[in-house]
Amino acid sequence: MVAIGTTIRDASADIELIGVTKTYDAKNVVIPPLSVALRPGEFTVILGPSGCGKSTLLQMIAGLERVSGGKILICDREVQDLEPKHRGCAMVFQNYALYPHMTVAENMAYSLKVAGIPKAERNERVAGVAKMLGLSDLLARKPAQLSGGQRQRVAIGRAIIREPGVLLFDEPLSNLDAQLRHDMRVELADLHRRIGATSVFVTHDQVEAMTLADRILILNKGRVEQFDTPKAIYHHPASVFVAKFIGAPPMNILQVTGDGSVLRLPDGQAVANYSGKGSFQLGIRPEDISVNAGGSIKARIRYREDLGSHEILETEIGCQQLRIATPFGVEIDTTSVLSLTFPRGRLHLFDGETGRAIPEAFGTAATTQSMKEYQ
Amino acid sequence: MVEKARSINITATLLLIIGIVYIVGPLYLTLSTASQSYEYMLRNGLAWIPGGELFANMSKVIHETRIPIQMLNSMTVAFSNALATCALSFLSAYAIVYFRIRWAGIVFALILATIMLPLDIRVITTYQVASNIFSPLNAVLDFTGLNSLIADIFGTPVHLELSVLDTRFGLVAPLVAHGTGTFLFRQFFLTLPKDLFKAARMDGAGPIRFLIDILLPLSRTSVASLFVLTFLSGWTQYLWPLVGASTPDMQTAVVGLARLVPDADGQVPDFPMIMAGAVLVSLVPLAMIALLQRYLVQGLVLSEK
Repeated sequence: MVAIGTTIRDASADIELIGVTKTYDAKNVVIPPLSVALRPGEFTVILGPSGCGKSTLLQMIAGLERVSGGKILICDREVQDLEPKHRGCAMVFQNYALYPHMTVAENMAYSLKVAGIPKAERNERVAGVAKMLGLSDLLARKPAQLSGGQRQRVAIGRAIIREPGVLLFDEPLSNLDAQLRHDMRVELADLHRRIGATSVFVTHDQVEAMTLADRILILNKGRVEQFDTPKAIYHHPASVFVAKFIGAPPMNILQVTGDGSVLRLPDGQAVANYSGKGSFQLGIRPEDISVNAGGSIKARIRYREDLGSHEILETEIGCQQLRIATPFGVEIDTTSVLSLTFPRGRLHLFDGETGRAIPEAFGTAATTQSMKEYQ
Repeated sequence: MVEKARSINITATLLLIIGIVYIVGPLYLTLSTASQSYEYMLRNGLAWIPGGELFANMSKVIHETRIPIQMLNSMTVAFSNALATCALSFLSAYAIVYFRIRWAGIVFALILATIMLPLDIRVITTYQVASNIFSPLNAVLDFTGLNSLIADIFGTPVHLELSVLDTRFGLVAPLVAHGTGTFLFRQFFLTLPKDLFKAARMDGAGPIRFLIDILLPLSRTSVASLFVLTFLSGWTQYLWPLVGASTPDMQTAVVGLARLVPDADGQVPDFPMIMAGAVLVSLVPLAMIALLQRYLVQGLVLSEK
C-alpha cells in the first residue's frame, strides 16, 4: 500500500502517557495522574468496570477529549494538544458510527478524501482494504443494508485505510451477538498480526481481554490496578480487585487472620502456614481447590451447578462463601461436608487493609519479572 | 380497530360528508364566484352556479391590478424567509447540539420562547424597531446615561436612524426570527448517533466539513420539510406585510387581495375579480403542496414530536 504524508507513517508507534489526568471539576476526578508506556506493535486491552475511566482514557489518546494535565507521547512526539487528525490514530466505535448516507466504499475512503488523496489512489486503497476484510462485494451498499458483523468490518476498514500508527477500539464487539463476537475476536487478532499497528482496545469483557491482549491494563476508578500479560494477571493478580475481576467464576477471597505461624479462618480452621500476623485476605481460584477425602479443610455444600463439562459447587466455609470448580469427569459425593485441600503453590495472599498482593508469601514467585518492570 | 358494522359505516360516511362540505363548500363558492361576471353577481348575489368568466376575471386581475407584481413580492418574501429560516435554524441547532456551550440550555429556552411569542403579538414593537433598527441601541445609550456623557463631550447625543419599512429585507427579517426550525433540527440531530461527530473528527474532518459532508446530507428531508412549511407560512403572512409595507408595489399578494375591496362606502366590491385573484394567488402554494407533499407531511410529523 502507498504511504501518505499526513499521518505518522511507521507501521506502529509507541505511546507513552506521563501523569495524564482528567478532571471535570475539583470534586469530579475521572483519572488521577496516570503513567503507562505501550510498546510499538503491542495489543493493549484496557479493562475495567463501567465508569472506571477507560473510555475517557482512550478518547484522550485519540484527541477527542482534552487532557486536564500531563503529557501524551506518540512516537516521542507530544500530541496532547494536537487535533485527532495530526496524531496518527484511527478509532473503531462501539456503535460503528458509519456515515449512513455514504456507501461502504465512501465510508472507508472519507478520511482519504478529507486528506486530499486523489480519487484513483483512494479507489485502489479501498479495494485493497475491502479485499483484506472480505467486503469486496459490498462496496456499493449503504450501512443500513449490512448486518452487524459487516458494519463492524466496515468500521475497522475505515480505521485501517489510513494505515495509522495507532489503532483505538472503543468496545467494538459489545453490540454483536455471542457467536459473531467470537468470530470477530479471532478476526481482530489475525488482523492485528498482519497490520502490526499499536492497538489499544477498551472493553469490560474479560474474555476479550484475555484472548486479544498482549498486555492488559486493569483500571479501577481511573487508577492502574495492574498492567501485565494475561497469564501474569491470571496467575499473579496484584490486588484483590484484579483477582475478583478476572476468571469465571472469580477467585475466592477469604478473610483470614495470621497468628504468627498459621492463617486461620474466623471459625478457627487453619488453612495455610504463614509467618505474618494480623488480618489478611486469602485468594484461591475455584479450579485450584482439590476435593479429596484426606483434606483437612471442611466446607459445607449449599448447592451445585452442573455445567456438563464440570460442576460449580457453592460451599460455605466459616460463614464465608467458597466456590469450587470440579475437574472434568470427577464425580463428587455431595453428602454435606466436603474435605478440601488448598495447594500451597496456588494460594494468593493480599493485605487485609489495602488489598494489595503480598508477593512470595508462600515461597512461590508471586511477582513476575514483567510486573516489576512496569510498576 | 372498530368492528365493521353497517350502522358505523353509515355514521362514518355521514360525518365525512359533513366535513367535506364544510371544507370544500367555501372553496367551491370561491371558484364559482370567480367564474361569474360582476353583473351576474350584482343581480343574483352569491354565485352557486359556475359561469364562463373565469379567464376574463383572471386577465382583469393581471392587467388592472397590482396582483402580479405583488405575487412577485410574495415569492421573494416567502422564498427568502424559507431560505434564511432553514440556514439560521440549522446552524443554531448545530451549535446547541454538537458543541459544549456554557449556557446552551438557556439559549435553547430563549429560542423556544419565540414560538410562544408570535409576531402577531409583537407587531407594534416590531414595527417600532423596523421603523428605526437602531432604536434599541439608542434606548440603551439613553438608559445607561452614556448619551448624556456623549452630549457633554461632543455637544450632542447619539441618535442613529435607519428604517427598513417598505423594503423586502424589512418584510422578511422579522419572520425569520422563529424557533420552530431550531427545535425541529435539534430533535433530528439528537436522533443521530453521537459518535458520528467523533468519527468525522478522527477522519480528519473539522466542524465545517462535518456540517457540509455529513450533517447536511443526512438532514436533507428535514431541511426540505422546513423549507416547505416556512415557504407556505411566508406566502400566507398577512399582518406583518400589511404593517411593514405601505406602498402597493412593496405589498404582498395576500395583502393586495384584501386591498382590492374598495374603501369607498356603498360600492359593491367586484367579488368575481377578487375571487379570481384569490385563485391565482393560491396557485403557487397549491403547486408547492402538490409537488412536495411528502416533505410537508414529514415536517408536520417532526414538529409534532
